[in-house]
Amino acid sequence: MTQSNERTPRKTHRTRAKVNLTQAFRQAPWRNQVQFVGLFLLALVVVVLVASVYLSISGRAAAAGLHAYSYSLERQDLERAIADHKSQIANLTSSAVMEQRAKDAGFERIDPSQAVYVLVPGYAGRQPVVLAAPPGVSNSGISLVKSAYRQSLWDWMFSGINRLSDSVGGSTQ
Amino acid sequence: MNLRSLSRPKALGLLLTAFVAVIAIQMIRIQTSTHAAYLDKWAQNYGVEVRTVQSERGYIYDRWGHLLAGNKEVYEIGAELQYVKNPASIASAVSTLFGVNYDATYDAAKLVYEPGNMVYVTLADFVTSDKLEELINLKKQYEAANPYGENPDLPSLRGLTWTAHLQRTYPENELASNILGFYTYYDRETGKGYFGVEEEYNELLSGTKQKVVIKLDPYEMQEIPSAPAAASLVLTIDREIQRSVETILNNAVTKNKAANGTIIVMDPETGEILAMAATPRFNPNNYWTYGDVFTAGISFNKAVSQVYEPGSVFKVLTMAAALDTNTVKPTTEFVDTGVIEVGGWEIYNWDRSAWGRQTMVGCMQHSLNVCLSWIATQLGPTSFYDYLNRFGIGHRTNIDLAGEEVYPLSQPDDPTWYTINLATNSFGQGVAVTPIQMVMAASAFANDGKMVVPHVLKAYIQDGQQFSTATKIAGAPVTAATAYTLTEMLAVSLEEEASDALVEGYRVAGKTGTAEIAVNGQYSSYATNASFVGWGPVDDPKFIVYVWLEKPKSSIWGSIVAAPVFRDVVKQLVVLMNIPPDDQRFTLQAQ
Repeated sequence: MTQSNERTPRKTHRTRAKVNLTQAFRQAPWRNQVQFVGLFLLALVVVVLVASVYLSISGRAAAAGLHAYSYSLERQDLERAIADHKSQIANLTSSAVMEQRAKDAGFERIDPSQAVYVLVPGYAGRQPVVLAAPPGVSNSGISLVKSAYRQSLWDWMFSGINRLSDSVGGSTQ
Repeated sequence: MNLRSLSRPKALGLLLTAFVAVIAIQMIRIQTSTHAAYLDKWAQNYGVEVRTVQSERGYIYDRWGHLLAGNKEVYEIGAELQYVKNPASIASAVSTLFGVNYDATYDAAKLVYEPGNMVYVTLADFVTSDKLEELINLKKQYEAANPYGENPDLPSLRGLTWTAHLQRTYPENELASNILGFYTYYDRETGKGYFGVEEEYNELLSGTKQKVVIKLDPYEMQEIPSAPAAASLVLTIDREIQRSVETILNNAVTKNKAANGTIIVMDPETGEILAMAATPRFNPNNYWTYGDVFTAGISFNKAVSQVYEPGSVFKVLTMAAALDTNTVKPTTEFVDTGVIEVGGWEIYNWDRSAWGRQTMVGCMQHSLNVCLSWIATQLGPTSFYDYLNRFGIGHRTNIDLAGEEVYPLSQPDDPTWYTINLATNSFGQGVAVTPIQMVMAASAFANDGKMVVPHVLKAYIQDGQQFSTATKIAGAPVTAATAYTLTEMLAVSLEEEASDALVEGYRVAGKTGTAEIAVNGQYSSYATNASFVGWGPVDDPKFIVYVWLEKPKSSIWGSIVAAPVFRDVVKQLVVLMNIPPDDQRFTLQAQ
């Protein structure tokens, strides 16, 4: 700080007092150094923290990606296993096998004259197989992965802002 | 620098600065190292994977949900050349376990690894899981004795890998193979359905096939696209009825020493094919034997692909046309002199006898060619062929099975038509049909005069939803009254004849047929097509059955060889379809 002392002696005296006052509040050099080092360390810590958070999130994102890939492979394995099990069940319950099992168990084909028929009220008889729901609303195009798992922080933030602005706009109408 | 002069904050600052600097230097070093270029190249080559995503081929079920065609897990065995230590061991193991050629396997396994070019060879494919288990155990044994395959004197299966994939399978083997067709699963890239349902619905069963680019960079990985499931089919076939019918047909062909045979069972109200058996058949799991089984001239499914002269079963169409036009009534009398002249040619009865005064029921009961020729002349060619067209003769039924054949119907305007055709056509000679055409035509008599389109697809499942097929009416060639009258006439004629087609407790209607086969341009008296078409129960038909035995040797007559087959089929049908005997059914209906 600089002060002019060319006007009056009185003024000069006051200026001196002020200079002395300024000197009284000046930080000691070691304190300035400590402050500088502290600020530098603070900045460094912030950088390290941000980098750590970034690395952590990146690592988790990479791990999630690898998991998704491995789950995809696992799903394919499971689909193949399901198909294989269906075929195995079909082999074990094929008409030839079932007939042989029935014969082994002492059953034999019935003659039409031996059959006894009973009227069962409300029974509509054996119905053909229904393996899936009848036609309706198709949901096959919907992704199984929720949007929360596919959005970045920015996407989420902007979508939130958009929602907020929409809702505010809606309330003014 | 005097360490003592450093204050603690300064020391901490220096330490952290050094730490950050080391990280920064390491990052720069990695980016500029000699490996960086290699890593970049590797990332370019392997950063993405181009994968063919293909739907699993759709399943085929019978009407009750029994699997008729599915997929099973098998394995491709290969060698990753980079890791192969002992090609001889690999060749020995693979050839012994999977029966492949040793020399070819050895030559493949000893190929030199070339990055980006020669990295993998396929040694065997379609290996079953139990066989693979043996290979895995062997590899473990070798690995225990020779870790990492470092000792070249000891066997090692290092580098041997296996990859799972699916293979089409038919759990019922030969059952309904004529309906199903087959899928050429050995062609993994270009496999296709042939014959039957596999060919007819190949597109639905195949689903989609597309190449997708998958990013392998974990940071860029996204949801891996998968092909939507292919459609699965639910057929109208009843597995148990099909099996019974095939067994009966096999026995009939063997017993009568017939060349081949065909049986069709259909629901006349809906057109649903409940069973369709034909010989020869084969196991579609071994589809490469097709050429051995179906030699030249043998159709894959004679029920839809083989035209033949049906003989007297065709008389039901002639009689129906005459009844529908009021040309005759059941009580109309005809004096059979044993011969009739049409277009300058003489027509005789099957036994060359004169049967005297006959009603129309008698004409059908004794299957008199002379009588039916007379009826056709009374109808006139225009009306007669108009009715044949209405019955779909000369036209495809459009059944949903691949390979349907049709023989054109020669009509008065055609240059190949002569007046004699009117007479011969009336009793099923000089006209050719497939069994399925006859079934569709006869369905009109069992369904109040309405003719239904035969079909084998009951429903299909796509995108998690089941879509059912609807009954298609192909027309109403005759009135309901005509259908009842004809059915009654045929039921009476069977009863009065004490036919072998009769089933105790059930009233059925039907007609036999014996057609001479043309050999070297002349009809042969010893080679015939024996047929029977029938339906029942007469008051409320639930089934229509068509039987055709080709060139039976035990007897040439349809009434002797085909009628008993019809009876055997119906005896099984009424049990499997839960149809009570007529008297019990009337009692139950009255309750």
